[in-house]
Amino acid sequence: MRRALWCLAAAGFVFGVIDLALILTSEFAPDRELSTALGLLIGWGFVGAGLFAWARRPDNRVGMLMTATGFAWFLAGLSLSDIPLLFVIGAAFGSLYFATAIHMLLAAPQGRLQSRSEKRIVGLGYVLTALVVPVLFVFVDPERDMECVDCPENVLYIASSETLVRVVSVAVNFVGLLLVVFVLVSLVLRLLRASAPERRLYAPVYAAGVALMITLIAILVLQSTSVSNEADGVVSTVALVPLALMPYLFLASFVRARMFQTGAVGELIARLGEAPHPGDLRDALAQALGDPSLELVYWLPDDKRFVDAVGAPFDLPSDGSGRAVTKVEQEGECVAAIVYDAMLRDARDHVRAVGAAAALALKNERLDAELRAKVGELRSSRQRMLSIGLEERRRLERDLHDGAQQRLVSMALNLRVARDKLRDEPDAAEGLLEGASHELDAALAELRELARGIHPAVLSDRGLDTALETLASRAPVPVELAALPGERLPEAVELAAYYVVSEALTNVAKYADASHAVVDIGRDNGRLVVAVSDDGVGGADPEQGTGLRGLADRLAVIEGRLEVDSERGRGTKITARIPCG
Amino acid sequence: MRVVVADDSVLLREGVVRLLEDSGFEVVGQAGDAVDLLRKVNAHKPDVAVVDIRMPPTHTDDGLRAALEIRKQHPDTGVLVLSQYVEESYALELVGDSAGGVGYLLKDRVADVDRFVDSVKRVAQGGSALDPEVVAQLVGRARREDPLDELTPREREALELMAEGRSNTAIAEHMVVTERAVEKHVTSIFGKLGLVPASEDHRRVLAVLTFLRS
Repeated sequence: MRRALWCLAAAGFVFGVIDLALILTSEFAPDRELSTALGLLIGWGFVGAGLFAWARRPDNRVGMLMTATGFAWFLAGLSLSDIPLLFVIGAAFGSLYFATAIHMLLAAPQGRLQSRSEKRIVGLGYVLTALVVPVLFVFVDPERDMECVDCPENVLYIASSETLVRVVSVAVNFVGLLLVVFVLVSLVLRLLRASAPERRLYAPVYAAGVALMITLIAILVLQSTSVSNEADGVVSTVALVPLALMPYLFLASFVRARMFQTGAVGELIARLGEAPHPGDLRDALAQALGDPSLELVYWLPDDKRFVDAVGAPFDLPSDGSGRAVTKVEQEGECVAAIVYDAMLRDARDHVRAVGAAAALALKNERLDAELRAKVGELRSSRQRMLSIGLEERRRLERDLHDGAQQRLVSMALNLRVARDKLRDEPDAAEGLLEGASHELDAALAELRELARGIHPAVLSDRGLDTALETLASRAPVPVELAALPGERLPEAVELAAYYVVSEALTNVAKYADASHAVVDIGRDNGRLVVAVSDDGVGGADPEQGTGLRGLADRLAVIEGRLEVDSERGRGTKITARIPCG
Repeated sequence: MRVVVADDSVLLREGVVRLLEDSGFEVVGQAGDAVDLLRKVNAHKPDVAVVDIRMPPTHTDDGLRAALEIRKQHPDTGVLVLSQYVEESYALELVGDSAGGVGYLLKDRVADVDRFVDSVKRVAQGGSALDPEVVAQLVGRARREDPLDELTPREREALELMAEGRSNTAIAEHMVVTERAVEKHVTSIFGKLGLVPASEDHRRVLAVLTFLRS
């Protein structure tokens, strides 16, 4: 690769020297000194800067396009030669460098054309300059059509058609004009829309591009109106200035990017030493990277997600969203991620260096973010608990009202009627009393179930093991108790674990269509791990329905966490981790 | 027959006492908490103690603990525990390794006077009385390969009555068949479940319970 680039550099140099020799020996070339000097400056500038960028960023096509523009420029230089064949080649392909330059300008700085219309425009440029113009050249008589008396003869000349050349030339100029206007508009739009880092790095390049396009428009307009050859010549020479500057501006932006990078890390480290307040860190990083849109998000290992500085969940941007992500790690553990303008993607190493410099401070700020996330979560789970509590009360009230209360009322009625009938219709009275007795039994059974639902007495009496045995024996699917704690635990922990198993088994019975379930309770690192798995249909979604959500909320109150693993067709496993002493 | 009644709810205790006295029992002592109960049983050595599970001092399962204590200290005193809940684990714990002179009933069963009195008598005489609800829970437990599926509906009914602690005569009466038919059912059940036949009712209960809880 490197050798190939060196060969290209040598070729570029030789091409320039040949051009120089041809121009110096040419009989007819106008403004010899100025165009020779500028011509070499432009050609070598493009080739040199292009190869430098190419070598530094082989994945970015801008360097290659710049080099190509340099060579195309030298190709156009051949048109000043006295030797007929070289003259013809130079003249026929004399506008190719417009196409490569346009391509380069539109592709910068990422090296890729961004939209379909850009691709079409660039394609059109190549068609015009590498196909239409050269083909047209077989009809061109230099003396007549180029008003060039001293030019060598056109060796490709096959037929004369003045009208054809005129018409096609006007058409080519017109299409070329549209092309240039399009590029001008896109460059201006880019300048206006540029993010801060993009503007800082590439504004001069865009500006030169804009200047070049404006002069090109002037040339094309002048050519088609053919006001005066003199004005044409002046504008053509003026157009060379932004063209000549362009490779150096590219080079400058490239070097600038490197320069500010090394300086900024030192500055950042100095700023971090001043123990920043929360939030200052983001500002410091934003300044160090020159990207005001920079975002800092923190990794919460417990929740396995990112949150922003106020603790709100944050989804990392995807590729192609215009944002880039660099993760900051400390001791092999992800601490945070820096989300920044994709324009800085080339400076990824630099972002990483900035991140590494700030890793310790980031770790501290992550704790802060974690706290905020937890507070936010608690607040919302408290809200939900409140509404769950209200809902449960409402349900209890309804159950009591619809169930036991109705039965007792009807029993009271029956008893009253039975009392009235006792003397005269003892048989009817007996039947009524019998009915009242049944109502009473049913009411008692309902109250019993209701009380169990509110709080299972066996849990506080005998602890989790016994309570779970009862729960398992009542479940409509066979439940295997693989492992139980075997000891009493804090009441809140027992209650939470009980509700996890209870809710899970209820779900198994309702939705899973399972043949059996397994309850497994163990300890891990100071936490009680309650797992309930089944061999059912899976596909349970914790976000759907209130059961699992409510369970997660109950757990959140005691710092517990709920995981639901329920791939469709693979059964469901619900795992709760509850801190316990 | 001499009885000690323990319940912290005076209303209920008085009700049970009146009911038992009306049925010919001699209530020799009443207790409002577990400690008092143990003292009264120690002092009177009754034939049977009727005990509510939920009692002071802790208002959890003090009654059950006291009942277990009585079974240990006074094997001749039967214990009938009354519970607000159908908690088969309590019943199984209470029975332990002998179903003689022990009972576990839902509290509301006292309303069915005849059956309640019958249960108290049975327990006092060294038999057993398990609540049908408890038995239904044990029998109805979901099993992976359920040998109970082998039983006919009539055999299942007989099994449940047997587990409650009823005698063949009582089962025959309940199922409206002859005692002979009950005997046939019982033999068939024991055969299908692979149990060793037991002569006394309470041994039969233990065998069935042991089978059901496994």
